[in-house]
Amino acid sequence: MEKKTKRGRLEIMKDVLFIIRENRNMIKITPLLRKSNLSSTRFQEYFLELLEKGFIREIESKKGKSISLTDKGFKFLERYQTIIHFIDEFEL
Amino acid sequence: MGQLISMGSFLVGGIGVELVYSFIIIVCSLMIYFATKEMDKLTSYKGIKYFRLSFLFFAFAYFFRYFIQFFLFSFKLNGILEFSPMFLGAISLFVFLYFSSMAIFFLLYSVMWKKWNHSKLTILLFNIFALIIAFASIFFRGISVYLVINFILLLIVLFILIVAYKDSRKKSKAGNSFIIYLLLSIFWILNIMNILVPRFLSIYQLLVYLVSISLFMIILYKVLKKTGE
Repeated sequence: MEKKTKRGRLEIMKDVLFIIRENRNMIKITPLLRKSNLSSTRFQEYFLELLEKGFIREIESKKGKSISLTDKGFKFLERYQTIIHFIDEFEL
Repeated sequence: MGQLISMGSFLVGGIGVELVYSFIIIVCSLMIYFATKEMDKLTSYKGIKYFRLSFLFFAFAYFFRYFIQFFLFSFKLNGILEFSPMFLGAISLFVFLYFSSMAIFFLLYSVMWKKWNHSKLTILLFNIFALIIAFASIFFRGISVYLVINFILLLIVLFILIVAYKDSRKKSKAGNSFIIYLLLSIFWILNIMNILVPRFLSIYQLLVYLVSISLFMIILYKVLKKTGE
């Protein structure tokens, strides 16, 4: 992900996590991709980043792979507004 | 006995003030650093990362600043210490100047990182500039060299911050943090001058200390308020 759009990046991360949370914290990859309004390439980047950072986890079941938030993912959503206000306040 | 009396009076008058001043700045800086740790971990946002690093470097710088004063003081008390206080004083001064310059550079970078794309190159340049400033202050012992170096540093920082400030005003609702950064830069330079040229600010020294502490306290207050810590 290019660094110029870092602010946008945080917003997109928040949106993806929000979608998962709003789906009772369990969603398959295809509907998540559709609802996130991202191209598949960009979605892949964000998806991998969220996995790497431990915000989401993949759960295998008989019905296939689903995605759910981890505690860290919930924490990010909870703190998102505070973080954005902080960035604005200090012009970061 | 005479040495002990002189030590006592110096602790109350000179190094005592320095100790309290440095201690307050170190505590404020570390509080800012740790209060923003969670945000940095959650987001890996560059602006937050460099903002934090800046205050970590401020804490290191003030730690060494105190040691400079301590070794200059011990130099006056020949015989108390077996090692060379002048040598240790020079090392402390070098480390202090390096960390202090890096602190200001990181603060600058925390607001400018979106415009300066090559972060590795930028940080390498910061390190080179900081080392040049530190080496120059150690090797060239003339007051005019200190004045020129710090004046150039101040001009660069002010120019970049003012440009960034104007840009942010055009774009969106900007806070008043740029003004605090500008003042912090000015007072940081005054602090450096105060160390390098002891009589430079002797009359206004306390005022410089008080304003510097106030600036750090304002930033700490804003950080704690915004982070909810």
